[in-house]
Amino acid sequence: MSTTTKLRLEGVSVWYGAQMALRDISLQVPQGVVLALIGPSGCGKSTLLRVVNRLVERSPGAKVQGRVWLDNEDILRRDMDVAQLRRRVGMIFQRPTPFPFSIFDNVAYGPRLHGVKDPVGLRRVVEDSLKQAALWDEVRGKLRRPASGLSGGQQQRLALARALAVDPEVILLDEPTSALDPGAAARIEELVVKLKGRYTVVIVTHNLQQAARVSDLTGFIQAGALIELGETSLIFTAPRDQRTEAYLTGQLE
Amino acid sequence: MSRGRTLHQIAAVATLVAVAALCWVLIALARDGLEHWHWWLLWRYPREIQAGGGVGPEIVNTMTMVSLAEGFSLPLGWCAAVWLSEYVRPSPTVRWLERLFIGLQSIPAIVVGLVAFQVLIGALHWPLSVGTGTVALAILNLPQVVVFSRQAMAGVPQSLREGSLALGATPFQTVWTMVLPASLASLVDQMGLSWARLAGEAALLIFTAGLNVGPHWGWFQPGETLAVHLWSVRTEGLMPDRASLAAETGILLIAMTALAIVAAKLLSNRITRRQRGPGRGRGGDRE
Ligand SMILES: Nc1ncnc2c1ncn2[C@@H]1O[C@H](COP(=O)(O)OP(=O)(O)O)[C@@H](O)[C@H]1O
Ligand SMILES: [Mg+2]
Repeated sequence: MSTTTKLRLEGVSVWYGAQMALRDISLQVPQGVVLALIGPSGCGKSTLLRVVNRLVERSPGAKVQGRVWLDNEDILRRDMDVAQLRRRVGMIFQRPTPFPFSIFDNVAYGPRLHGVKDPVGLRRVVEDSLKQAALWDEVRGKLRRPASGLSGGQQQRLALARALAVDPEVILLDEPTSALDPGAAARIEELVVKLKGRYTVVIVTHNLQQAARVSDLTGFIQAGALIELGETSLIFTAPRDQRTEAYLTGQLE
Repeated sequence: MSRGRTLHQIAAVATLVAVAALCWVLIALARDGLEHWHWWLLWRYPREIQAGGGVGPEIVNTMTMVSLAEGFSLPLGWCAAVWLSEYVRPSPTVRWLERLFIGLQSIPAIVVGLVAFQVLIGALHWPLSVGTGTVALAILNLPQVVVFSRQAMAGVPQSLREGSLALGATPFQTVWTMVLPASLASLVDQMGLSWARLAGEAALLIFTAGLNVGPHWGWFQPGETLAVHLWSVRTEGLMPDRASLAAETGILLIAMTALAIVAAKLLSNRITRRQRGPGRGRGGDRE
């Protein structure tokens, strides 16, 4: 495990109107590591991810306090180029969201935004990304078909390919397998493990076994507060905080 | 309960009567119009007092004026809708503007015509002409475009916008490369309806484009559309064949508007099929 810090949150709090969704969260994610975030639903996991790529600002009434550092850049600062930030921080959402285009155009969407026009280059990026997302073998020769014809699991891998095509540094996954059957979920999990090292990954999951299988670090969030964060093996075998232990035993039984 | 049933029955009967009346009018029109149908109607110039005139210029006027009016009002109204729906945050001002457009939509066309007449012809001294009529049509159409564009954009799920933004798209890129394509089917469909509505518009054009039955054509000269011609033939026409001429013109107008609506619907369905995939249509295997 490398020791350079890729992503650092410092005293991050979020409000939706008067309701506090995150309280004073501080954490660090080293480069190339997979961090899993677990916690009861509504505890603020999605909000935390959306702070990191600043999608949280789209919610009316949202207010963010604190600092978030990507490498050594304060990404919450006012004059941050948000589009540029989101290029560096990819996100996979809970519900598969195929764009209403062909499979090819879905993957090429990001590169085209950023000015890649040359068809040969585009094709190569699309093919590489689909291979990296383990979707290539299933869709080769069908790239002109609408993406909505794919199965849920394939659509989620397509979303991953789409994110990879813009060559991000950090990848955020918000319960990427909760809408999938176990087989499809397992394939996504394998991919997350493969992403490790090359990308810094933060994955929110409701599935504790999944967190245990894919992550290096695990953080437990409850009612907007980060209760405990540590090495995954330790969190699952010897949590320091009682609340973590209560949650884990409650969930695993 | 029985009262609800009675109301229901009354509504059903009323609908039937309305549909029957409409069919009767259409059939009568088709009978009168088709009985004396002459193809030369499509290209001959109108005649003032003799029989045998056509509606060539009226067809050209209808096509150009309506299409150009759409050409002005669509981009403008769409941009206004984008600004309201995608750029500004919901606020009292935005809600007020939204109400305004919905309100403007229901102003009678003849009132819009009067205003256009006062401003464009009265104050600005534009000529009573094809050009002025086109601008008036565009003004009439604008609130409708804003409202249906906003509806089309409201049909685009937030998840698509966020998916686009999350890949590093700017708000402008998101509108242009995601929201527009995703709402295109609905826009095209509404465009057909709006084209048909403008083609059938007469009151506003009588104010602004005037009447013209002479064999000349120009932007700065009076000119009439099929709908206006229909009205003038039937009310003040002197030609002996005015009854059948009006019926034929009516048939032609109905055919043109129906064509616009159906063509737009087909195109819209085609776009949806291409986007939604082989579930509903055929997906090509070639790359
Ligand atoms: N757009 C929003 N507006 C208002 N409240 C929100 C919004 N999004 C989330 N919340 C609230 O913030 C809290 C945290 O939500 P979320 O981050 O989605 O939790 P999780 O992903 O852990 O289920 C919840 O109480 C939720 O109701
Ligand atoms: Mg969530």
